[in-house]
Amino acid sequence: MGLWIVIIVIVLIAIYLVMIYNRLVSLRQITGQAWSDVSVQLKQRHDLVPNLVETVKGYAAHERGTLEAVTQARNAAVAASSPQAQAAAENMLTGALRQLFALSEAYPDLKASQNFQQLQGDLSDLENKIAASRRFFNNAVQEYNSSIQQFPAVLVAGSLGFTPKTFFDVDDSERAAVNAAPQVKF
Amino acid sequence: MLGSYGLSTYIWNNRLKSLVLLAGFPVLLLLICFGVALLIAAWSDPSVDQGLADAIAITPQLVPVALGGAAIWFLIAWFANTGIVAMATGAHGIERSDNPRLWNILETLCISRGITMPRLSIIDTGALNAFASGVHKGQYRITVTRGLLEALNDQELEAVLAHELTHIENRDVQLLVIAAVFVGIVSLAGDVLIRGPRFFLFNTGGYGGGYSGGSGYSGGGRSRDRSERGGGGGAIVLVLIAVAIFLIARLLAIVLRLAMSRKREFLADAGSVELTKNPDAMISALRKIAGHSEMPAPAQIQEMFLDHPAAHGLTGLFDTHPSIDDRIAALVRYGAGRDPGPLPQVSASTTTVPETNPAPTAPHPWGEPTPPASGPWGTPETPPAPHPWGEPQP
Repeated sequence: MGLWIVIIVIVLIAIYLVMIYNRLVSLRQITGQAWSDVSVQLKQRHDLVPNLVETVKGYAAHERGTLEAVTQARNAAVAASSPQAQAAAENMLTGALRQLFALSEAYPDLKASQNFQQLQGDLSDLENKIAASRRFFNNAVQEYNSSIQQFPAVLVAGSLGFTPKTFFDVDDSERAAVNAAPQVKF
Repeated sequence: MLGSYGLSTYIWNNRLKSLVLLAGFPVLLLLICFGVALLIAAWSDPSVDQGLADAIAITPQLVPVALGGAAIWFLIAWFANTGIVAMATGAHGIERSDNPRLWNILETLCISRGITMPRLSIIDTGALNAFASGVHKGQYRITVTRGLLEALNDQELEAVLAHELTHIENRDVQLLVIAAVFVGIVSLAGDVLIRGPRFFLFNTGGYGGGYSGGSGYSGGGRSRDRSERGGGGGAIVLVLIAVAIFLIARLLAIVLRLAMSRKREFLADAGSVELTKNPDAMISALRKIAGHSEMPAPAQIQEMFLDHPAAHGLTGLFDTHPSIDDRIAALVRYGAGRDPGPLPQVSASTTTVPETNPAPTAPHPWGEPTPPASGPWGTPETPPAPHPWGEPQP
């Protein structure tokens, strides 16, 4: 009788541990999926930028400085690897794009251009999608990070390769810039 | 331990909890069997101790009978269920061409999850509601009201469809059929057996004696004598215990079933966010639905409704659905959603789409600051995203 109880308790503990392990694996998986969702949106934005630059060039070729800033920011964003670096690079890009749109104020022809308006709409649409997928990613990371810091997972998480992940986020001063989507002025 | 720190853990824990609740039903069935055994034992009018011992001895023999009964009942309910839904709601099926907007949103969701698209139906009513039905593959169907189609924008509609899709993926209809069968059995057992033994005990003492003699329980003759005098002390106590068991079991069955139903609603909300990755759309859909979801239908179907306001009681113990506020609170807490607060009751009527949806070209697409949102890292970012395609299409 006593032996059976010991066996049952051991089995229950084993089930519990396996369940925790499986949960951690799933949570890590989900953060991975969420990150690729973010990446897809970011890539779409990166792909739009050259088009936008070309369009603006057609109307305001001598605004070289602004256009180059946008191109550079875009290239930096494409090259960024970690979520943290990516977030910073995306911020730069957002800022540069904002300047570009501000610049269009001075060029009525550009502003009236069908192509330009289309790109502008697409970009603002992408900003929203990026914001949504980023929020989902950060929520997943937060959940994963909390889970590996809980007892009893915390005892083994590190040695089993569950390391905390970084948020796709920036510090507060920069956050404001990300949050305000490109200022689209007419 | 197994805490909820976000959407996924919240979903898993809710699943565990509703499994535990489901496991409660067989326990209730066992309780009912014991009650029946008590009544059988009481017929031979032993002392209380002897009666309890007899009842415990008889119970195992009754369990297979009870399980068999449950299985048959379940089969009947399984097949009747679909008929009831089809007849009672007055919904009519649609094809892609009837409402491409609705069809496409659902199709996209299904493709992203790799599941067969359920069929779609529409009910022509101004109420804002939706439900999933069907108990097996090929029969699944999502029904929405005309009012819902008109009042919600595309993201909100997507959130609602994802909610119903989660009900289907979680096999919630089956679960509710199972729960309904158990509640039915427990109630029926109570009804029959509380009235039955009184009849047997006080009117047909001979029958009681004969039974106990045949079964080999002691004291058959004594039972007849006492029963005819109407003063079987042991029997009366046993019957009272049995009645108490039936009453408690009946209450517990209903509470269990409703608690499970509420868990499944929370689960479907969370599943919706997981599918659409957009907690705000689910929240604003719920806000619009609040106070406009009333719609006549049989109780069986109302349990599958998106919201079932008639049931919001004071304690919540007898509700089929959690309150809208509780559901939104859960979405904010676990899904990182942001709650814009209750809508003014007028604006959420059937035709207007409220001010949360300004033109995307406005200098600040997301105009007013949102009220305190308690996402994991607090800062209010973009409120319900106004997408260019978010314009309501009638």
